[in-house]
Amino acid sequence: MTGQTRLCLDVSRCVGVGQCELLEPELFRVDDDNGTATIVNEPVLPSQRAEVIVNQCPSGAIQIDTSINPTLVKPLGTD
Amino acid sequence: MATSPDIVSPAMYLDGIPHTRFSEIMSNPGLMWHPYQDGGFWVVSRHSDVKAVSKQPKLFSSAIGHTNLWDLEADALEARRSIIDTDAPDHTRIRRLVSKVFTPRNINLWENVTREIAGELLDEFQRAGGGDWVNMVAAPLPIRVILSILGVPVSDADYLVELSNYLVEGTTDQPSLAPDAFGNTTDLRLLPFGSPASHALFEYGEQLGLKRKSDPKEDVVTQLVMAEEDGNRLSATEYRNLFHVLVFAGNETTRTAIAHGAMAFAEFPHQWERLEADSQIHAPAVEELLRWAIPVLHMRRTATADTELAGTSITEGDKVVMWYPAANRDPTIYDHPFDFDISREANPHFSFGGGGPHFCLGAFLARMEIRILLEEMLSRRLALRQAGAPVRVASNFIHGILSVKMEVV
Repeated sequence: MTGQTRLCLDVSRCVGVGQCELLEPELFRVDDDNGTATIVNEPVLPSQRAEVIVNQCPSGAIQIDTSINPTLVKPLGTD
Repeated sequence: MATSPDIVSPAMYLDGIPHTRFSEIMSNPGLMWHPYQDGGFWVVSRHSDVKAVSKQPKLFSSAIGHTNLWDLEADALEARRSIIDTDAPDHTRIRRLVSKVFTPRNINLWENVTREIAGELLDEFQRAGGGDWVNMVAAPLPIRVILSILGVPVSDADYLVELSNYLVEGTTDQPSLAPDAFGNTTDLRLLPFGSPASHALFEYGEQLGLKRKSDPKEDVVTQLVMAEEDGNRLSATEYRNLFHVLVFAGNETTRTAIAHGAMAFAEFPHQWERLEADSQIHAPAVEELLRWAIPVLHMRRTATADTELAGTSITEGDKVVMWYPAANRDPTIYDHPFDFDISREANPHFSFGGGGPHFCLGAFLARMEIRILLEEMLSRRLALRQAGAPVRVASNFIHGILSVKMEVV
C-alpha cells in the first residue's frame, strides 16, 4: 500500500492537544496565540501514516481530505 | 441468576480495583445495566466501546447531569461546572485558553525544572533509606511542577496537597471535614466533590487572580484572568473551576500514577532490571506504567438521543459510564493484560480517557514527569522494595494511594 493521502484540519473542532505536532512537526503546529493547530506544510502523507494521524487526533479535527485534490487519494477498494 | 456485580461501593476498592468483576462484565455481550440510586447506568467496559463513547461528544454529552455517577441539581451543576462538565462550544473556548500551555513543545520547556525537583526529592528519599513514597516523592513532585507551570507560589505546595487530599476524600463515603472547615459558608452541594476544601481552593485561586490582575506576571494565572480578546473571556465561575481543575487534576492524578508505578516495579522486579538495561524501552515503560495505574476510574456521559452501542439500545437521557480499568485490561487489545510488561509495542491505554475532545489536558505533562522521574531513579541506581501494604482510598472514582512504604534496595 503506497498511496498518498492529503489531510485537512477542521479548526472549529480542534482543542489544541498537540498530538499532530508531536507526530508530524513538519506539517502541524499548535499556534501559541489561539491554542489551535495550524497546517504549516502541505499535509500529504503515505496513506497508512495519514490514518494514524487521523486516529491519534482526539478531537477529530484532522480528517482525510477528499475534496481539494482527489487525484492524491486512491479510490476505495483499489488497494 | 447471578446478582449483578457491584462496581460502585467504595468498599469494593479498598483492596484495589475489582478487576475480576470488570473482566466478568466485559466477557458478556452488550452493555450491562448497573442499578444506582433511583435509576442506573450503562457499564461501558470494552476498549472499543469506551473509544466509541469518547469520540462522539455530541451523542454522549458531558454537560448534561454531571460527569460523575449521580445527577446534580441544576444550580449545583452550574456552580460546579468545569472544563470537564462542558460540551462544545464552551468546552472548546475554555480549553483553548490553556491548551497551548500543555502541548508537547511547551511541556518540554519544563523538563529541567522537573528534573531538578525530582532529583532533590529522590536524594532525600535515598538518604533516608526509604520511607513513605507518596508523601516523599509521588505527591510533592507533580504539585511542585504544576504550580511552577501555572505561576502559583511553590511555597504553598503543602497546603494545596492538603486540600487535594480532602478533595479525594470527598470521592469516598467518609469525608472528615466539618461543613464550615476553611471558613466555608457555601452549601456543600454547590462545591466540587461536595467538599469545603473546594471552597478553600476557590478562595486561593480568586485571591491569586486578584493579585495577578493588579500586578500581571508572565504566567498562566495572569493569562487566565486577563483573557478577554476574541470573546475568550472566562466568567468568574469558569475561572475558579478551571483553576480548581488545573491544581487538583494537575497533581493528584500524576501522584497516583507515580505511586502505582513504584508498586508495579516492586511487584515485577525483573521489569526494573530491563529498564536499567535498555534505554530504548523508557518510552514504552511510561505508557505501561500509565496503563497499569489508571488514576481515574471512570467518567460518565449522558445520551442526547436514542442510539445503540455493542448491540444494546440506549435511550436518550441514559447515563453511560466508561470504566477505564476494564478497557485497560481488555484481552482483545492486550496479550496477558494482567502482566506489567514495559516493552509493549502498542499500548493504546485509556488512562488519559478514551480520546475525544476531553482527552486529558495534562497528558504530555504527566508523561514527561514520569519519564524524568524514572531517568533520575536510574541515574541514582535507586531501586525500590515495597515494605508493607499500601493505604488505599476507598473510592470508585480515584484510584488513590494515601501512603506506601518503600525501601531502597
